[in-house]
Amino acid sequence: MTKPLILIVDDEAQIQRFLGHALAASGYDTAFAATGQAALAMVASAKPDAMILDLGLPDLNGKAVIENLRARSGLPIIVLSAHDQEMEKIMALDLGANDFITKPFGIGELLARLRAVLRQRAQPTGILRQGGLVIDLPGHTVHLNGQSIHLTPTEFDLLVMLAQNPGRVLTHRQILMQVWGPAHGQDVPYLRVFIGQLRQKIETDPAAPAYIQTEPGVGYRWIAAEA
Amino acid sequence: MMDSPAGWPQGCRMADRNASLLPDTHGWAAAPTLPSALGAVLFLALAALTTYLTQDSLPEPSGLFVFFVAVLLASVRFGFWIGVASALAAFATFNFLFVRPLYTFAIAKPGDLLVLAEFLGVAGLTGFLAGRLREEANAATTRAEVLEVLSAFAADLAKVDGLPAIRATLSRHVAALVPGPVVVLQPVADGFSPDAGLDPGLDAADLQAAERALRRHSREDPAQPGQQGGSLAFLPLVQAGEVVLILGHAVLGPNRADRAVREQAIEVICQQANLAIARLTLATTAEEARTSATRDALRAALLTSLSHDLRTPLATILGAITSLRELGNTLPPAARDDLALAIEEEARRLSHYVENLLYMTRLQAGLDLHLSWVDPADVVRAAIARASTAFPTARISADLPELPMLQAEAALLEQSLFNLLDNAVKFSAPAAPIHVTATVGQDQIAVCVADQGPGIAPRVQAEVFKPFYRADPGRPGTGLGLSISNGIVQALGGTLTVTSPLRDGKGTRMCITLPLPKASP
Repeated sequence: MTKPLILIVDDEAQIQRFLGHALAASGYDTAFAATGQAALAMVASAKPDAMILDLGLPDLNGKAVIENLRARSGLPIIVLSAHDQEMEKIMALDLGANDFITKPFGIGELLARLRAVLRQRAQPTGILRQGGLVIDLPGHTVHLNGQSIHLTPTEFDLLVMLAQNPGRVLTHRQILMQVWGPAHGQDVPYLRVFIGQLRQKIETDPAAPAYIQTEPGVGYRWIAAEA
Repeated sequence: MMDSPAGWPQGCRMADRNASLLPDTHGWAAAPTLPSALGAVLFLALAALTTYLTQDSLPEPSGLFVFFVAVLLASVRFGFWIGVASALAAFATFNFLFVRPLYTFAIAKPGDLLVLAEFLGVAGLTGFLAGRLREEANAATTRAEVLEVLSAFAADLAKVDGLPAIRATLSRHVAALVPGPVVVLQPVADGFSPDAGLDPGLDAADLQAAERALRRHSREDPAQPGQQGGSLAFLPLVQAGEVVLILGHAVLGPNRADRAVREQAIEVICQQANLAIARLTLATTAEEARTSATRDALRAALLTSLSHDLRTPLATILGAITSLRELGNTLPPAARDDLALAIEEEARRLSHYVENLLYMTRLQAGLDLHLSWVDPADVVRAAIARASTAFPTARISADLPELPMLQAEAALLEQSLFNLLDNAVKFSAPAAPIHVTATVGQDQIAVCVADQGPGIAPRVQAEVFKPFYRADPGRPGTGLGLSISNGIVQALGGTLTVTSPLRDGKGTRMCITLPLPKASP
């Protein structure tokens, strides 16, 4: 079995250095790029399985790289950002980055995110099973522990969008645009209400949600139950 | 003097105070004084004596002429009223002593009355004309004096560089215009600066007048003679609705002919001083705006640098340590070593950066130097040793003659030199030679670091000493090193210069030039 190839895009040699050792020891192949242009070329030539992308590149802005890539591929992208790059980070996620991690980070955290984005590659259709939750996509029905749950059409769309992207951060804007339409991109309080209702219906303890995790200031993440 | 009113702080001395005594000038009809009356009596006595001694040898009317001359002189010298009094006295004396019947005031001939009228007329007219002439002459002198004061004031004002200088100038020149004390007060939170309450020439009434001028933004005149109140006039200088200074000055007597012109001059002086203050305020504001812009740019650059140059080493250290801890067993030994080395390197980089930041802060706060005798050769060797540890692959050589001792702070000088070496290494090919030389001149010593790197284009040579300037943002670095070197060298009284290219369009030489102390240890 071939090892997954991870493309590391960072202009700091020292970051490349420790990521290289850590990923190699964790069973990945690694490739490096120090600029956005080089990264795009590498994606085309080396066909990596995922990309770790620093937002502060010397030539292209990290966002430009994502925009460019998303036009032609669904390559999983984890964005490396700094604490004061909150807006950049959200924009990167809006543009289609799969996840983010804030510098400085421990290697365990990064490896977990990497595993998650690699797993979510094949988007499930038909029937989704998440722990005790069974979502029948064509039948528009949801069962929790064998009991049928009534969801409004909007709640169902919201649930499906989240559950189809396990482990991935979905930004407020992405959810609002897809579920409610382009006119509602800014209605974050609205979204909060619906997430609350959904949690009441599917979570065992809505105050400590197991499925829908909040990423403060960014959006929500569906936590895939280990099968 | 009365006790100072409460609220004026004690312990301050009047600084801006001047006193002058102008010779008092009188109008043509000024009241006679005792000395002038005595002078007139003396003239008449001399006239009487002369007439008496010559009455036998000269014809009778000549005595009359002698008295006439005395009256004229008294009129010219002592003014109108003394002149008229002299005329009467001269007529009486002449009549008493020399006109028959002798030793009586009796007037024998009606013609004598005519003589008296002539005497009075001549004396009055002469006194009046002479007085007027003197007045005109005085007025001309005053005008010349005032003009001189005004032009001297304008010239001095062009040179002032601050409010204290304006105060001193104002005080000095107004003092030349008035017959008495001049004070310049600056309103402060709880009174005036300097402390007006301690000035022996200012009584409580003056202070109250000054306070009124401050409150009302208008001129306060002194009290009329015989009335209660202050003795000085106070003029506030108002800038944008705020009294910045108050000029207090003695006033001229109400009868003085030159009063108007002098007071006008004082007003002109106040206006000019006010303009000068406005000019200074504008200059200060512009300067502050400039400093503030520089400070903001520096702060922004510092923030960017902090976020980048602190974060990258920290991210590497944290990432490498967590890798070692969590993946320890799966990592090959070579990878473990490399991670450990990366941690060490990044920790050094952080330490170097923090050190530079601290120097930067110290330089910006104004270095508190602790000078001692330093052998520059020792410092050069220490800096080279440090650089060789930090950059094991660098080839740094030195050529040091016998060097005189310097007055410097060894650690600072070493840091400055180390930053030059750091920079040379950064921009040199690995193992390209870097050479340190030292030369001793007449009154200075130069330590130079030369490399064979790409050189610095002439147009950016001035930029390289600015904080956070980075020739190549792609290379690791903070853009602080050279600016700190420059700051340190300047603080030590020297200069840092750059020469580039050295040959074939490549190479840079940075020289630290420091003055040699006057005396040797």
